[in-house]
Amino acid sequence: MRLFWRLLGFLRPYRRGVIASLVLAALAIGGTVALPWLTGRAIDQVRPGHHDRHALVLLGIALAVTGLLRLALTIARRLVAGRVSLSVEYDLRGLMYGHLQSLELAFFDGQQTGQLMSRATVDLQSVRFFLGYGLVFLVQSGLTILLGATAMFLLNPGLAALSLWPIPFVIVVAARYGRRGRPAQQEVQQRIAELTAEAEENISGVRVVKAFAREQRQLGRFRHSVRRVFDQSIYSTRIRAFYQPLVAFLPNLGLGAILFFGGREVIDGHLSVGDFAAFYAYLLMLISPMRTLGIFLGMSQRATASGARIFQILDRAPQMTVPANAPPLPPGEGRVQLREVTFTYDGANEPALHDIDLDVAAGTTLALVGATASGKTTLVSLIPRLYDVTKGQILIDGADVREIQLQSLRKEIALVTDEPFLFSASVHENIAYARADASREDVERAARRAQAHEFIAELPDGYDTVIGERGLSLSGGQRQRLAIARALLADPRILILDDATSSVDASTEQEIKEALREVMRGRTTFVIAHRLSTIALADEIVVLERGRVTARGEHDELAKTSPVYREIVEKGLPDQVFLTRKPMEAEAKQVAGL
Amino acid sequence: MKQSKAQSRRADLRRRLQGTRGRGRKLRGLLVLLRPYRWRVVAMLVALVAATAAQLAPPPLATLAIDDGIIPRDLATLNLVVGAFIVSALVLWGATYAETYLVGWVGQRVLQDLRVEIFSHLQRLSIGFYSRKRAGVLISRLTNDVDALDRLVSDGVETLVQSSLTLVGTAVILLVLDVKLALLTFIVFPLLLAGSLAFRIASADAYRLTRERIAWVTSYLQETLSGVRVVRAFGQERRHERRFAQLNEENRGANMRTVVLNAAYFPTVEFLSALMTVGILLYGGYQAIDGNVKVGVLVGFVAALNNFFNPIEQLSQLYTTYQSGMAALDKIFELLDEAPDLEDREGAVELGRIAGAIDFDDVSFTYRSGDDAVDALRDVSLNVPPGQSVALVGATGAGKSTLAKLVARFYDPTAGRVLVDGHDLREVTQDSLRSQMGIVPQEGFLFSGTIGENIAFGRPDASEEEVAAAARAVGADEFIAQLEEGYDTAVGERGVHLSAGQRQLVAFARALIADPRILVLDEATSTVDIHTEGRIEAGLRRLLAGRTAIVIAHRLSTIRNAGRIVVLEHGEIVEQGTHEELLAAEGRYWQLYRDWAEQAVA
Repeated sequence: MRLFWRLLGFLRPYRRGVIASLVLAALAIGGTVALPWLTGRAIDQVRPGHHDRHALVLLGIALAVTGLLRLALTIARRLVAGRVSLSVEYDLRGLMYGHLQSLELAFFDGQQTGQLMSRATVDLQSVRFFLGYGLVFLVQSGLTILLGATAMFLLNPGLAALSLWPIPFVIVVAARYGRRGRPAQQEVQQRIAELTAEAEENISGVRVVKAFAREQRQLGRFRHSVRRVFDQSIYSTRIRAFYQPLVAFLPNLGLGAILFFGGREVIDGHLSVGDFAAFYAYLLMLISPMRTLGIFLGMSQRATASGARIFQILDRAPQMTVPANAPPLPPGEGRVQLREVTFTYDGANEPALHDIDLDVAAGTTLALVGATASGKTTLVSLIPRLYDVTKGQILIDGADVREIQLQSLRKEIALVTDEPFLFSASVHENIAYARADASREDVERAARRAQAHEFIAELPDGYDTVIGERGLSLSGGQRQRLAIARALLADPRILILDDATSSVDASTEQEIKEALREVMRGRTTFVIAHRLSTIALADEIVVLERGRVTARGEHDELAKTSPVYREIVEKGLPDQVFLTRKPMEAEAKQVAGL
Repeated sequence: MKQSKAQSRRADLRRRLQGTRGRGRKLRGLLVLLRPYRWRVVAMLVALVAATAAQLAPPPLATLAIDDGIIPRDLATLNLVVGAFIVSALVLWGATYAETYLVGWVGQRVLQDLRVEIFSHLQRLSIGFYSRKRAGVLISRLTNDVDALDRLVSDGVETLVQSSLTLVGTAVILLVLDVKLALLTFIVFPLLLAGSLAFRIASADAYRLTRERIAWVTSYLQETLSGVRVVRAFGQERRHERRFAQLNEENRGANMRTVVLNAAYFPTVEFLSALMTVGILLYGGYQAIDGNVKVGVLVGFVAALNNFFNPIEQLSQLYTTYQSGMAALDKIFELLDEAPDLEDREGAVELGRIAGAIDFDDVSFTYRSGDDAVDALRDVSLNVPPGQSVALVGATGAGKSTLAKLVARFYDPTAGRVLVDGHDLREVTQDSLRSQMGIVPQEGFLFSGTIGENIAFGRPDASEEEVAAAARAVGADEFIAQLEEGYDTAVGERGVHLSAGQRQLVAFARALIADPRILVLDEATSTVDIHTEGRIEAGLRRLLAGRTAIVIAHRLSTIRNAGRIVVLEHGEIVEQGTHEELLAAEGRYWQLYRDWAEQAVA
């Protein structure tokens, strides 16, 4: 129940709209309830033995005027309520998004994107539907039933009781349907999504399927998915087939009671024909609100459950905090110091980094080498404060990263990773990601320095080509060059290249290397690499093993002292040949290898 | 046995669907799909008619009750009418249950058949087809288009039959009750229909816009969640929030349009209904006073009005459903009409266990996409003895992958012949050829499922030991053992993320377990860490041992170890021989090698 009030809190900014739409709804319902009564009166004017033409005309006019008033009230109510409902949706979605943006990276490591998406779409949908429409429908239906029933009791209490008894049953049954029907339908959607994923995979993996002549087996798997959709659809259909006719049947018992008992009362002279007709019309009028009330009651239960899941996220406070009045990053040349840094990932038993002490002088380049999972990527993630150290501290130009404004820190650090993430935006927008106001010349200059200009120029719309559209896919090397250009345009004090040249071929790397050499000048650079040619760019090399620094120094020195480093020197020659950098169009055509 | 029965049923369906070409084929196509379930369809129609009739009964029964029971004070008639009323209510209950269930069952069954049909058709189409079409479009046939059809068969058919019957039935009832009053009522009818259609057309656009806008919102959300690391690293949260607010606002605006349209339409229909009541009461009232119309008729008329408005609303809604459903059906049929271009020839030979000799006999190949034609191979002749591994070397676009694809018969040559053990590939069954061929694509494509399942993809009946043995042979066992659930670890979208090198190793194991005679392999270009690199080299050697292999080679070690190196340039073979021979010849390969050596020391 507390949760319910909390959900209602989202309506607070729109109290006036909510109240206005309730008042308008109540007035309109008054009109709706008046119509059958007026109709009954009109019929009474023409019953055998009692004619009043004048009254009939007056009643006709009254009916028309009531109809017109209701028209105006309903239009106004729909406009007001619609605006409120859309605003609540807007607020909720914005709040959710803003909150997700404020959470630290570690939060996302522990979450599946799919789960978060489902919170932000499915759950949000059911809450906003409830707050936006559900409440209005609930109140409106409840009020209609209340007023209609009152009118019936006023006309004839006994008959009212006899004809209205199915109402509670209709509401209960409909509420049950509202609770069960929708989740069953959502499960159908879920299974259709699985089916789609299955189809998608087979179409993108068609070469492998054909290569192993596995068409029949894949068809079998697909049939299984199709079957699952069918079974769930039938289950959902059964629910619908059970509840809907039942809900339609129950009010008929009330109508039957009016005919049976009401008919007798008219014969006995206790009820006029007009009242009899009005009774009949009232019950017809109440059928749809009964159904709606029940269904929305069921819905409100689900909305509360969804609300609970949404609040779970909204209540999760950002754990990476910056002190109020934190100063920006002080000016400097980019000296980076790690002091006894230990770091453990959430939920991990072992620290990923142990007692790391490093002092990287401004403007120098440090290479990090080591096997997979030795802690290289973790170490560079700590510098832009993507994670907070578990112990120790990190200083940039003398300031602890935890003591300064996050934005000012990250503006001065650019990161290029091995599988760079690009947004579905134009090439220009992707390169200008860190500096949205960059001109085309700036972007082009950065692209040229990253050896990306040449292939960009050959894309269908050059720098305006939207990535991921029209089936255009960039190769790994091309994506990396775009990411390098993106980092260059940010013009950072500190540059981090995490395996940034792994999927460019040797001759391209050769060209990028020139570019890298130039951009490293005047910046502090961290390089994670496996190729000797890239490592050679560094002033100093640090060898990491299982989260500890086991050796550091210059190339010649390490080649003698560190066995790990020696292995790299011996086997890590740029062992790729003959990819003479060549026609871009060919590269684009060879989409997925074979 | 069951399998073959299902297959022959499918073949039958396919034949019938193809027979529906020409005018009106969409409807006839739908009938073909419904044919296997015709008795259920008949039962469904019976239930629909019964339910509609039961639904129409109350107003005329009310009229009877008043005019023949209540006003003449005839209790027996009144009881009879109430009895009939209860019976009609029970019929409504039962018939609606049957109808809802049957419509759902038949509709979903038809969709199931259609999905399987589309999928199996897609599988029969050649790789050439897939290079011409975008994956997204093909997926959309199976998803969006089938969904559009879903709406048509689940709601559309039911609405069409029930609403039309209700409309016609109500009209007949009104005419029987009183002709003049009925004609008066029908005046509003065209007005309402025209208004409803106009509203539907306008709101179809508005709703399309809302769907589009919410899709934008959702995909933007999805993207910033997947790219959260980049967003954080560049500190761009504010900008994304602003952009999101903008999309959110656009979504609100689009939805507001539908609110306005609905606010105009639905209350207006209610108002029209009130006006009609007034008309009936006034005109009918005067008639009743003059004794031309009975009171019960008036009550019946007012009650029947409800049955008049709903069907019109629903029928107008059907219009857009019908349109999009039919458009979807068009696209689906277009896909099903696509003839498979690489089917087994009549009387194609089952290949027995092959030795693995490959011969290219004056092979040329031209890619066609639309009006463009690109010569990829020109007059290539090549003889590979069983067991030899051939490294293909050359620049991107020189024709290496085309040559490899022709061996797997992903395409047929434009001119010349490709032979395996002396059999022209066009004369043998594709199954018998590919089951003896292992293909390792560059990206190491894995299916969602466990690592074990992916390795066993080449031979689904492989035991756990065999899977583990294959992984061990190519050196993939080490990293798999480090995963929490070993071979049962899920990979792909919902599973763990494997590095490029790890995917490559799994792809090796997958090829090895199929124990192919001929191996076609595209070596990955990206470097991995030293340790994995060493594993891949060793795994590759193990995989190539004793098999004929065509390798699109990028690594010097692979090229050096190959039995023969073939240098391709612009679709032609310019040189072939071993590493030493080619270096001694000081030709194109020698030049490439020298360039590399210069880079390596730089």
